[in-house]
Parts: sequence; structure tokens; C-alpha cells
Amino acid sequence: MGRRAWVLAAIVLLQAVAAVFFVGDALADVREDGWRAHVLVEGTIALALVAGVVLGALELKRMLAEAQRSADALAVARGALGELVAERFAQWGLTAAEADVALFALKGFDTAGIAELRGAAHGTVRAQLAQVYAKAGVSSRAGLVALFFDELLDGVAGPR
Amino acid sequence: MDANETATVRGWDPLVKLTHWGIALAVLVNGVFTEEGSDWHVWVGTGMAALLLVRLLWGFIGPKEARFSAFPPSPTRAADHVADIVAGRKLAHASHNGLGALMAYALWATLGVVAVTGFLMSGVPGTASARVEAPMVPAVTAPLAPVAEEADEEREEADEAEEGEGGEGAEGGEGPEWIEEVHEVAANLLFVLAALHIGGVLFETRRSGPAVIRRMTGGVRG
Ligand code: HEM
Ligand code: HEM
Repeated sequence: MGRRAWVLAAIVLLQAVAAVFFVGDALADVREDGWRAHVLVEGTIALALVAGVVLGALELKRMLAEAQRSADALAVARGALGELVAERFAQWGLTAAEADVALFALKGFDTAGIAELRGAAHGTVRAQLAQVYAKAGVSSRAGLVALFFDELLDGVAGPR
Repeated sequence: MDANETATVRGWDPLVKLTHWGIALAVLVNGVFTEEGSDWHVWVGTGMAALLLVRLLWGFIGPKEARFSAFPPSPTRAADHVADIVAGRKLAHASHNGLGALMAYALWATLGVVAVTGFLMSGVPGTASARVEAPMVPAVTAPLAPVAEEADEEREEADEAEEGEGGEGAEGGEGPEWIEEVHEVAANLLFVLAALHIGGVLFETRRSGPAVIRRMTGGVRG
């Protein structure tokens, strides 16, 4: 939403400045010349501007609420994915160490990176990863990631 | 926006930010730079009034935190906040804290008085009464046009006479002295309140962290 909300807010404010100007102008004209056609035109413009301000403000509010909702949804999704991952790990019966390694793998670390993070030897990590793949029923890191990705994309239609 | 911050309090929405800084700028410009009653002064003041109106509208229809109902003017809340300060409690506020709320209303009320008295003196820029002033640009050298002079007779502040408050229309004794008086007093009150306000913001920022100020200054993404 960011930029669009700012643009809309700025437009609302510009319209408000114009509205105040036209309302004041119409009032001053009425005071000086009474109700001329000119005043009616000005009054109409003023009304349209005021309506624009109110509608613009309502639209802005809707936009902000929408943005908030999708931010919330994203947070929920993030949390939900975390829960899903933990649930699967438990189902597969991963040990604590294997679960750690699996999580790093999901986050995109390679064997060397994981080994460094855990202060473990490469060979240990490689063996643990192999255990994870076996328990998950996949043969590679890509397969492991795909398991979760697949669930995330559930309900999203494929091409055609 | 970094996660920590969103977890505590969100920044003010774009409309609050724009009206805030627009109004602050208008007050600064009209208080310091424009000539009192000049076209520029009246234009800037008109802009300020429009921003103020939109912010007040937003107080009724805006998002939760921006609504008046989120920060009712309440001495109890203000006292609670003072107690928080004394006790060194730092609570996160989704809207204004109790003291900040009172200050916001005080500032808005004063701005309203300044705007209304300003309009009473000047009319709107470019309106009939102001148009009469147009030929007055050379007024510095050649004194006032006769018409305006008559209307303005009762006003003796020579150099300011060019403003022609309310022109020759309407109720005869235009721009009564007291209106100008009120405008001036309210403007001065506004400067005092703004100074206190800025002091309060800085104090609260030192006390409970930069989030207070960042919510109002935060970038376009906030
Ligand atoms: C933005 C906030 C404003 C501030 C801080 C401000 C401040 C001031 C100050 C300090 C004066 C000098 C008063 C005196 O010494 O007599 C003044 C004069 C004046 N202001 Fe404003 N003003 C503001 C808004 C407005 C608005 C909204 C209008 C009209 C639409 C306006 C119209 C005038 C006029 C016509 C005078 C000249 C009064 C005279 O005849 O001396 N001002 N203003
Ligand atoms: C003449 C200058 C100023 C005026 C008239 C003014 C007026 C206001 C008003 C009316 C509010 C309430 C905002 C709303 O709910 O829409 C507000 C809030 C705020 N202002 Fe100002 N302001 C001025 C200058 C400043 C400056 C220079 C700063 C920065 C140091 C500042 C920082 C803030 C902050 C941080 C808030 C939010 C306070 C909170 O969280 O409760 N203001 N100001």
C-alpha cells in the first residue's frame, strides 16, 4: 500500500485546501453580491470537493485497513508455517539435532553453513541430513523444501 | 519497517503525518516568515485550516488509533501518564498518551481560533474583498485607494492598513480591533503550546525511546 496511501492522502489534502478556498469564496460572494449564478457554480464546485474529501478519506481508511489485514495475514501465515514445520518434524520422529539441521536446511543453509552454525563437523551434519531425508521420504534438500511448499500452494491452481 | 517496531506500536498513518507536518510548517512559516496579513500569510493560513479540518474529520472516520475515541481528553488519563512518568513506567501507546492527548486538543483548539479570527479579518485569499486589495501593491508608495481608505478609517496601524480586513462589504465597522487582538493572542499561545509540545515529545523520547518520534517522522513506508 505504502506509496498509494501517501498519494491518496496528499490528494485528499489538496482537495481540502481547494474546498476551503471555494467555500470561503462562495460565502464572500454571497455576502457581496447575493445569490448569483456564479455563486451557484462555486457552491457546486465546493460541494463536489467536500464530497471528494470525504470519499477520499474513506477510501484511504479502507486501503489502510486492507494493508493491515494482509500484514496480519502474512504474520499468521509465517506463524502457521512454523507450526506446520514443527508438526511434520514431530511426525517424522526427528531428534532435536536433526530438527535443528532440517530447519537450517529449509532456511537455505548449505552443509558447510550448518556445520559452522552448529559448531559440528561436516560429516556429522551430512549424516544428520541424510537421516532427515530418509525419515521425510525424500532424497534431497529440494525434495524436503517441496514438501512444505506443496502444502503452502495447496488450493492455488496450476497453469491451466 | 522493522519487525520489532511493528510488534509494539505502528507508526501514524500517512494522513496524520501529512497533516501534522503541514500544520507545523504552516505555523512556522506564518509565525516567522510571512508578513502579517499579507496574501502569503492568508494563503498559508488557509492551507493550515484545510489540513486541520481534514485531521478533525479523520478523528471521526479514520483508523482506530487516529480517532478521538482512542485518545479522549481526560484528566484521569493525563494523571495516569504523570504517574507512569514518576514511576518510570514505559507503556506502549497505540495512540497518544494521556498528556499528549490533552496537548493535541489544546493545539487544535488554538489553531481553530487562529484560523477563524484570521478568516474574519481577511476573507479568503482571492475573494472579492481580497481582490479589491490587488491594486494595492503599489500602496507602499501611493497610499490607499480612496474606497479602502474610508472603510479602513478606524484602523490606524498605517503599514498594516493594506490588509483591508473584510473590505468595504457587510457590517460597517469591519475587522473590529478585538478580532485582531484575539488572533494575535491565540497565535502567541500557539507558539508557547508548540514549544511545550516539542519539549514534551523530546522528553518522552528520551524517557521511553525513539519510537515516540519515529512514529510521526517514519518514512514513506511507515
Ligand atoms: C497558521 C497559523 C497562523 C499564525 C501563526 C498567525 C500569526 C499571526 C500573527 C502573529 C499576526 C500578527 C498579529 C498582530 O500583531 O496584530 C497575524 C496577523 C494576521 N493574520 Fe495570521 N496567523 C495564522 C493564520 C492566519 C489565517 C488562517 C489567516 C486568514 C485566513 C490569517 C490572517 C491574518 C491577518 C489578516 C493578519 C493581519 C492582522 C492585522 O491587521 O494586523 N492568519 N497572524
Ligand atoms: C508548530 C509546530 C507543531 C504543531 C502545531 C504540532 C501539533 C501537533 C498535534 C496537533 C499533534 C497531534 C497529532 C494528531 O493526532 O494528528 C502532534 C503530535 C505529535 N507531534 Fe507535533 N506539532 C508541531 C511540531 C512538532 C515537532 C517539531 C515535532 C518533532 C520534534 C513534533 C512531534 C510530534 C509527535 C512525535 C507527535 C505524536 C505524539 C504522540 O505520539 O502522542 N511536533 N503535534
